[in-house]
Amino acid sequence: MTVSTIPLDTAAAPHVAELWKTRHDKTRFQWSSLTLLTPAFALLIILFLIPMGYAVYLGLTDLTLVGPTAIKWGFTGTQNLVRLKADSEFWSSLWVTGIFIVGSIVGVIIAGYALATLLMKARPWMRIVVGGIVVIAWMMPAVTAGMTWYASTTGGGTFATLSGLANSNFLDSQPLLIVTLANIWSMTGFAMLVIGAGLRNIPSEAIEAAVVENSSAWQRFRMIILPLMRPTIIAVVLLVALLSLANFSLIYIMTQGGPGTATNILPLYSYQQAFSFNNLAYGALIGNVMVIIASVFGVLYVRIAGRQ
Amino acid sequence: MKMMKNVGVHRFATGAATLALVAGGLAWSSGAVAGASSKITISVAYAANTTFDTTPLGYTWWTKVKKEDEAKYPNVTVKLVAVDGGEPDFLTKLALLYHSPSTAPTIAQFPSTEIALYASTNYLMPMNKMLKGSSWFSQYPKVIQNEGQIKGNIYAVSAGENNNGIYYDKAILQKAGIPLPWQPKNWQDIVSAAQKIKKAEPKVIPLWLDAGTSAGPNGAGYGILNLLAGSSTPTIQTSSGKMVVSSPGLLQTLNFYHTVFSDGLGAPTSQLFSPNNAPNIPSADFAKGTLGIAVAANFIGGNWTKQVSFPYWPKASTDMGVAGLPTANGKGYASTLSGWDYGISSGATSAQATAAMNFLNIAQDSTNLIDAANWAGWVPPVQSDWTVPLYTNFASPFNEEFGKILPYSSELPSSANYSVWVQGIEQASGAIAEKPSTTGAQAESQMSSFISNQLGPSAVTTLK
Repeated sequence: MTVSTIPLDTAAAPHVAELWKTRHDKTRFQWSSLTLLTPAFALLIILFLIPMGYAVYLGLTDLTLVGPTAIKWGFTGTQNLVRLKADSEFWSSLWVTGIFIVGSIVGVIIAGYALATLLMKARPWMRIVVGGIVVIAWMMPAVTAGMTWYASTTGGGTFATLSGLANSNFLDSQPLLIVTLANIWSMTGFAMLVIGAGLRNIPSEAIEAAVVENSSAWQRFRMIILPLMRPTIIAVVLLVALLSLANFSLIYIMTQGGPGTATNILPLYSYQQAFSFNNLAYGALIGNVMVIIASVFGVLYVRIAGRQ
Repeated sequence: MKMMKNVGVHRFATGAATLALVAGGLAWSSGAVAGASSKITISVAYAANTTFDTTPLGYTWWTKVKKEDEAKYPNVTVKLVAVDGGEPDFLTKLALLYHSPSTAPTIAQFPSTEIALYASTNYLMPMNKMLKGSSWFSQYPKVIQNEGQIKGNIYAVSAGENNNGIYYDKAILQKAGIPLPWQPKNWQDIVSAAQKIKKAEPKVIPLWLDAGTSAGPNGAGYGILNLLAGSSTPTIQTSSGKMVVSSPGLLQTLNFYHTVFSDGLGAPTSQLFSPNNAPNIPSADFAKGTLGIAVAANFIGGNWTKQVSFPYWPKASTDMGVAGLPTANGKGYASTLSGWDYGISSGATSAQATAAMNFLNIAQDSTNLIDAANWAGWVPPVQSDWTVPLYTNFASPFNEEFGKILPYSSELPSSANYSVWVQGIEQASGAIAEKPSTTGAQAESQMSSFISNQLGPSAVTTLK
């Protein structure tokens, strides 16, 4: 058997030759596309770049809520940045924020994964009931969730009663742990839904083949489930990080950042500076730091989502 | 052709009608403008949920004053701007209202600690000339008259005052073997009484002392600052404007807190740090018979009335006693004095300023003033009202007793740095309540570090 090749007749088909010459590894650009992109650019500039630029500018001024510089305020250069660098409360708040976010991510992933796995094996009615309750906790307004956790963890609350230590006040003795648990509780429903969807997309053939090969449950988790779930878990990690970074209401309701500064995460410190201490500009600067942190998480999320 | 003619007629008719409408509209609007020139509108901003003991009582009072004003001055329309939220929310929203001349209220009612801030921002109009003929302002005690005065200019006038003292449960003190009526002579007497209560009634909270940050700046005003006022060096802000971060008085006060909490005499942190209205918790605890003594504000007595019902406790007048808070060494009484004040916007026209002053004259009429004092839990600023039955009978004997000890009270500072300073001292008191092993010196050091970090070393000072 012989295999014949058809010679390319470039003379007979010049357009084919052109196609061969086209460099597909180079980005093609058409000036007319700018017209089509103008509305999107305009929206981006009006809704994002101008407010962001203004917030950055405000962070470098002496604007206050009340006081002489509430009306006559101006640019003060790097004065607020110098203050921020030397502000021990800010660095303490950044540290507390980091612990809160990392603790929330770990807790949400573990609880979300555990619930999603258990519910996949559960009976349909149980899946509906338990899944429904977890999702309700996720959809609950932060004010309600905060008050529920406050009432449960303060002296004489559910935690104290169940532990047999009626006079214990877990919220005051372990404030950061308790607010982190409350945050985990409120976000687990979200993680459970996303991870559950990811688990259902794992081909059952792969698991069955591993079972036939006498693999242990841990081996199946480590060698099959975890690699296939990696993009989903990373997406959940980044979203939980972003949502936790912006979670002002829950902690404000439960502790207002206290006792002392034990739960004073960056959004609360920014609020405290802007509205309790009247330093709107310095509060804006702390807000800008949060935007930078959120941007890092956001870029990571977009890149990972792009790869998927 | 006929059709074209009809179209022309139609166009003419439409044009004429439009012209007529425009002309009519112009005439109507010019008439409205002419009418408006004689009509004056003033806006009055107030805290809808925090000043009065209940929101409905506040609504009733403000609506009544508005009606009385509009009936007496038919050319004036009073627009009430009820600002919702807790006190910090109110202050933020009021500051934002002042930011724009179009939303700045003609009159606003705000805490006395804000007066200097608003005056320095040029939000407020000096009222000296308008108050010259005032029948009520001349009856204010000097300390209350000075509340709104900065460098000779009166920027605000008091609507009512809060001072503090000691409440005690007579039955609990009797069981503890403390003779009644009880009047501690110094701080040691308070500690001794609390220790006796702890021994006689182990399930009772011996002494309520406000601590921590959850009640905002007011919490300190109802608690630790009263003790500081009675300490050896009560200064919070020096005459040069520097905030005091270390002094013998501060140390003495924080040491007192350390003694109370390390002996297990204070309230649990679940109550002290409650975001749910911590300064009012003593009134509920007393009614339940679970609290012996409290250093608390004058409004606690009013809480037990039927109108306020927080909770309603008719036997409070006989079961509870009141005493002045002694100074540390027993040389008289001490209390903070913090009120709510009215200020007139610097942007008000002269007609609006006159209308605003007329409104204040009605608000400060004796009946309205006492109603406000009763319903908001204030001592009325007019001294002669302290013995008027309408006031004394509302929450007897508490209202009268707190009127008697008001002259021993001292004003809290009003400055931008005070809000930071008060956060620092609340953190210090909270640190001791949360961890009673924290000594007074350690708490003072924490406080000094926090305030110095926030305000910078040039804005703070140490007193020897």
